[in-house]
Amino acid sequence: MSYVYAVARLKAMENRFLDASFFSRLIDSATLEEALKSLGETVYGQWISGSAPAEFDQVIDRELIASCEDLERFVPDRELLDIYRMPHDFNNVKVILKSLFRAREGGERRYDLLSALGAVDTERLIMALEGEEYGLLPYGLADVIPHCWTLWEQTKNTKDIDLMLDGAMFAAMRKTAEALGIPEVVRWVERRIDAENLGNAARLARMNTDPAAALPFFHNGGTIRPADAAKLLGEPLESWGKALSHTDLGAVFEGIQDRSDMQATLCDISKALSDSLIRVLEKAKYSASAPGNVILYLLQKEEEARSLRIALVCVANGLNREFARRLLSHAR
Amino acid sequence: MELLGLALALLGAALAGGMAGVGSAIGIGIAGESAAGVMTEDPDKFAKCLMLQALPGTQGFYGFIIVFMVMVKLEMFGTPLSISWVQGLMIFAACMPVALACWISAIYQGKTSAAAIQMISKKPDAVGKALVLPAMVETYAVLSLLTSILLLMFGVQLG
Repeated sequence: MSYVYAVARLKAMENRFLDASFFSRLIDSATLEEALKSLGETVYGQWISGSAPAEFDQVIDRELIASCEDLERFVPDRELLDIYRMPHDFNNVKVILKSLFRAREGGERRYDLLSALGAVDTERLIMALEGEEYGLLPYGLADVIPHCWTLWEQTKNTKDIDLMLDGAMFAAMRKTAEALGIPEVVRWVERRIDAENLGNAARLARMNTDPAAALPFFHNGGTIRPADAAKLLGEPLESWGKALSHTDLGAVFEGIQDRSDMQATLCDISKALSDSLIRVLEKAKYSASAPGNVILYLLQKEEEARSLRIALVCVANGLNREFARRLLSHAR
Repeated sequence: MELLGLALALLGAALAGGMAGVGSAIGIGIAGESAAGVMTEDPDKFAKCLMLQALPGTQGFYGFIIVFMVMVKLEMFGTPLSISWVQGLMIFAACMPVALACWISAIYQGKTSAAAIQMISKKPDAVGKALVLPAMVETYAVLSLLTSILLLMFGVQLG
């Protein structure tokens, strides 16, 4: 299979994305059943039959997993999909590790938060981590997991372990992207790391964290150095755009206002960063064979799934429709 | 030595036909991959995709026209003319516009067709526009064909 074939197929698949008018109708649904009936007429319909209305989350997950599996069949470089699915794998590793920590302290093992969206089979991860056969783990995890155990035994702080695993994930993403040798994918991974760092910076700034203490929360591999990201904490949010003007991300913060509603500001930042991740791949859209289109498709699908979750949660809980509309970042 | 002229002329014709054909095959291949991708998801677009996929195939025919003209000029269907190496070289040179321009343009037309096929997968109503874009590349293949024809007809005098 070639990228010309893959990209053409993806463009045809994009026609099945849910559009803004569908989301508008979905939000206006009086009940969850009515909303799911509308959803049943889309590609999600194949996963709805036999599911209880409250299980819409699984329906969305099933569609995302099916999309990834579909792409695996015709995308020439599987590593491209691995880069996209890596966060889910690392999230699964975190879930299993925390469960093992709990078990060591006499608690129960809980694997209900494992995601099937990862590239690595969850059973394989559980087997490797429970059996301490770290050599079976991908992405350089064999070196990281023993450190996680040491850290946990020393501090019992799972947040530090999360940060260590995040650092390892970004290093693995970057390594895989560089090995692929596709410049737009390397740029996207860098932007992904920057977005994570800036998102962390925004949250830490809200908590008035000292820049020096915040340094471990920032990861290497992006275009913004961790030390520079930490420096932002001493600045008001309005000046972040100027401070980052030497990078592509300066524009992301130009329109952001520090509102009194902390949650709304963080929501704006998260949306702007998420949009910037899609924008970095937009040039690929105009090429008939750019591998970046694979990531772009998956990001759009993920965006659609997120919007769908927001809309269905709002309908299920009878939340304010205007609030739901504001939350929806999907706009095609 | 007396056959050198004929050999040069036939080499030119062979390159015109061969290179244009190779270009067309590559171009059609690229467009075909794109068409297959679209049709996997939407088989109803077969006719539109086929139209666009066939576009880079014309260069192969242009090459063949030149091969035929060279053979007629050399009276290859009867007793071949005896020509000097300079005349042979002139025929060889006359074949080059088609050989080179059709080879390259077919590949690029294939790429443009692939993009146009992706365009109609999203906007089926824009099939007219989608046809115009790869057809623009065709212009230069046609010009090279005319150049080769003019050179063969008026640039090379035999006998």
